Amino acid sequence: MAGRNPLRDRPFAVLAVLILAWLLLPPAVQRFAGTAFSEFQAPAEEALSRVRDLGRYWSLRTLSRRELIETGRELSRLNALYRLQAGETEALRQYNARLRGLLDLPEPVGFRREVARVTGRELTNWWQSVTIRKGREDGIRPGHGVVFAGGVVGRVREVFAGTARVELVTSPGFRMAAHFEGDRRPVRYEGRPVGLLTDPEGQVRDVPSDFFASPEEPLELVSSRLGGVFPDGLPLGTVERLQTGPSGLFQTGPVLLDPGLLTLEEVAVLVPETRGGPGDAEP
Amino acid sequence: MARKRTNPTSGPGEANASLDVASRRHRRLLPLYAITGILLAVLFGQLGREQFVNRPEYLEREKQQTLRRIILPAPRGTIYDRDGRLLAGNRATFSASVFLDELRPAFREEYIRQVRAVRERERATGEPAETSNRDLVWRARMAVIRRHLDTLEGLIGRELDMSLATLRGHFHQRILLPLPLVENLTEEEYATLIDQLPKDSPIVVATDSARYYPYGPLAAHTLGYVVNQPEEVPEDLSGDDLLTFSRYGKRGKAGVEREFEADLHGDSGEEVWRVDPQGFQFERVDFRQPVVGGDVYLSLDAEVQQAAERALDGYVGAAVALDPQTGEVLALASRPTYDLNELTPRIPSPVFARINEKGAWLNRAVQGLYPPGSTFKPVTAMAALREDQVEPEETLWCGTSYLVGNRRFPEHSSPGFGDIALERALAVSSNVYFYQTGLAAGAEAIADTARVLGLATPTGVELPFETDDMLVPDPAWKRENRGEGWWPGDTANLSIGQGFLRVTPLQMAVVAASLATGETGIRPTLLRREGEGWLDRATRLPLPLSEEDREAIVAGMRAAVAEGTARRAQLPDIEVAGKTGTAQVYPGGKARTLAWFIGFAPVQNPRIAFAVVTESQEDGVEFAGGAQAAPIARAMLEAFFAQEEGVPGAPEAPFSPLVHRLGAREAVVQ
Repeated sequence: MAGRNPLRDRPFAVLAVLILAWLLLPPAVQRFAGTAFSEFQAPAEEALSRVRDLGRYWSLRTLSRRELIETGRELSRLNALYRLQAGETEALRQYNARLRGLLDLPEPVGFRREVARVTGRELTNWWQSVTIRKGREDGIRPGHGVVFAGGVVGRVREVFAGTARVELVTSPGFRMAAHFEGDRRPVRYEGRPVGLLTDPEGQVRDVPSDFFASPEEPLELVSSRLGGVFPDGLPLGTVERLQTGPSGLFQTGPVLLDPGLLTLEEVAVLVPETRGGPGDAEP
Repeated sequence: MARKRTNPTSGPGEANASLDVASRRHRRLLPLYAITGILLAVLFGQLGREQFVNRPEYLEREKQQTLRRIILPAPRGTIYDRDGRLLAGNRATFSASVFLDELRPAFREEYIRQVRAVRERERATGEPAETSNRDLVWRARMAVIRRHLDTLEGLIGRELDMSLATLRGHFHQRILLPLPLVENLTEEEYATLIDQLPKDSPIVVATDSARYYPYGPLAAHTLGYVVNQPEEVPEDLSGDDLLTFSRYGKRGKAGVEREFEADLHGDSGEEVWRVDPQGFQFERVDFRQPVVGGDVYLSLDAEVQQAAERALDGYVGAAVALDPQTGEVLALASRPTYDLNELTPRIPSPVFARINEKGAWLNRAVQGLYPPGSTFKPVTAMAALREDQVEPEETLWCGTSYLVGNRRFPEHSSPGFGDIALERALAVSSNVYFYQTGLAAGAEAIADTARVLGLATPTGVELPFETDDMLVPDPAWKRENRGEGWWPGDTANLSIGQGFLRVTPLQMAVVAASLATGETGIRPTLLRREGEGWLDRATRLPLPLSEEDREAIVAGMRAAVAEGTARRAQLPDIEVAGKTGTAQVYPGGKARTLAWFIGFAPVQNPRIAFAVVTESQEDGVEFAGGAQAAPIARAMLEAFFAQEEGVPGAPEAPFSPLVHRLGAREAVVQ
């Protein structure tokens, strides 16, 4: 009968000893080690993202002159359109400010947008986050809202010197106040883990029973300013189905999110402005 | 070869002897073995008995010790008016609570910290601390709760507090239920907590429901209100010996909310939890979802009700409108009133005191007892006609007063009315005419007619606390209750609705409906009725009066509106029949005037009957049925007839299952 090879179990023993040693470490040391690991890991992630940027740069270099001219023209057309829309937005903003002045309403909290590049993603069933290339030095703090062109991205969870980790709206631990477009009553949005090769999805709860949603008449869920983290009206997703809960008073339903959430490249962190502080500062 | 060594001193006989000793000893041990065996058998037998025979009993005891039940209240059903307008529904309320079992690690940590602090203090001072371990436990628990309250205060900017007594009470009586830290969060506070509290925080942002009355004070006395109280344990639950905790549910305390409690309440749900030895929840082993309460469709018409209440504003009194054909109550208003939304989710003490001070809890339409004054004259006329003591066309001399015994009873108009018949007497509300006809008919006949019209008994409308102290006096009553004889003056007073007579506005509306339809036994109902099958015909009887005589009374009431005392109740295209009344009461020794108006419309095909009463509040102010009460009735009539074309946009109300059930019950009676 062959004897049990003691060497075969050694890795498990070592692992057990290491885990035990980690558990026995004082919490302060554990915290320090975790932060140090993140701080050391951040440059590596940043370097990796820069390498990816470089790769993209070289792939763009292969474009023909004709394609570049076409793209440049398209870009200038978009620029002109956005300038026009920015002008209209500014006019509306001033109109809104005048009305607020007339009605003696307080000015809502403003946000400075800190645009940052996404350097890494972590999409698991337990935790869904992205790492961005801006951090404490740029005025970013835990709890700040993060948005992109398609709407809400998530909330800053951890901040390091030059990077920050953003919890995505799809993360099971994410929760925010929202409301449906055209209605002011707040509802509760919660994240849901995203399966592989499936579109991102969340869940809306505490929806009053008088709402009705169907694939033909979906409801647009947008951010609520009441919570103080996001400005009002940023798109969150669409709701095509609502189901009445056990209380009969509220409904719940899935929220279909922007698929662009899974391929984020650039996001903007919403840094709340103090009253009388600087205006929007573009990076 | 080994040799066997033997003891030279011991022979075979000795060996046998030692064997004997052994066997003797063995024999001596036998009883011991037997006893041990018996004891073991008993032990194993008992063990087997406990394990197999008594197993169900132990399982039950284990269940009692480790299982706890939570009763979950069902959402309350909603109340609609006859056209499906929402009168009472549910609205969301938000609160922040903690489950105590999730705080146990924090309690433990805080307790250790407190113990260390005490020990350090003892070491520093050299004296033992006068703090018991129990005090430290509660201090630690309170400190943890305070930390969470501070967190909430920082987020919502509201000052929050909780007493140790509240925490102790929750631990001892409601440990499985969440401990509310802050209730009635505003939408902004709710959104702030959702946004800024971590999802894994022990503080839970919870939703609940509170009663919501979209029309505020509209029909407050009819709809009634609810109070929060621990949900009652349903009778049909299995395992009724389980320790049970009840969440706060709502229970109707007044009005329709109370009367239809069984229908509106719904079926409670339950959760059964396995708990640990400290009583904290461990795992949920059973769940039954609560079933929402049934909806109730009332006969009230929100438009007519609103018109009645607006017209009553500034008065103390009541207004009632009925469908005379079905008995459905279209409006039932009482003033002063209160805003139902102020009573939900809880009745604040200052609000209760304010309502109490105004005397607004009283539903004057069904609890207010008043002398009906001249609105009673049609009843006197009916009694005289029944007794053949007067003919409709017969004229009587009506001067400025009428002598009854040695007392002179005055006419309300100083020149008097001269020779007048019934129609004119009703139109101008002549007192002298009705003194004469009343005396001719006699008190017994008047009282009997009043009883036939339902004035001596409660109407039976589906409202709690309808008074049964109404009084239709007659000689027997006076003899029994006051020990006095009945005087002709009492009959004269009764003839014009004064004296001891006391009725409610709803009863007078029923009298008006009886005059409109020529039927008695009309039972007012607050439930919407549909189809002839639901009419409470079983109790209806024709008026004990010829049709000609009834028409004569109606002609008088028509004339009262067309050219008499009730001209302010005229409508452009609809003929109204009515009778005004003015009566005097002396509450607390102060003279107060009551202004009455009863009637129905249209005269030819009556669809609404009404009664209005208002009480004067100041001395020296002219107060009369035609001036104060008739315009209120006109407002109700205008609102009622304005809806002839239906209510645009109002949803079609489904047939109330509650009416189906009541109807089935009544069908059996028929």
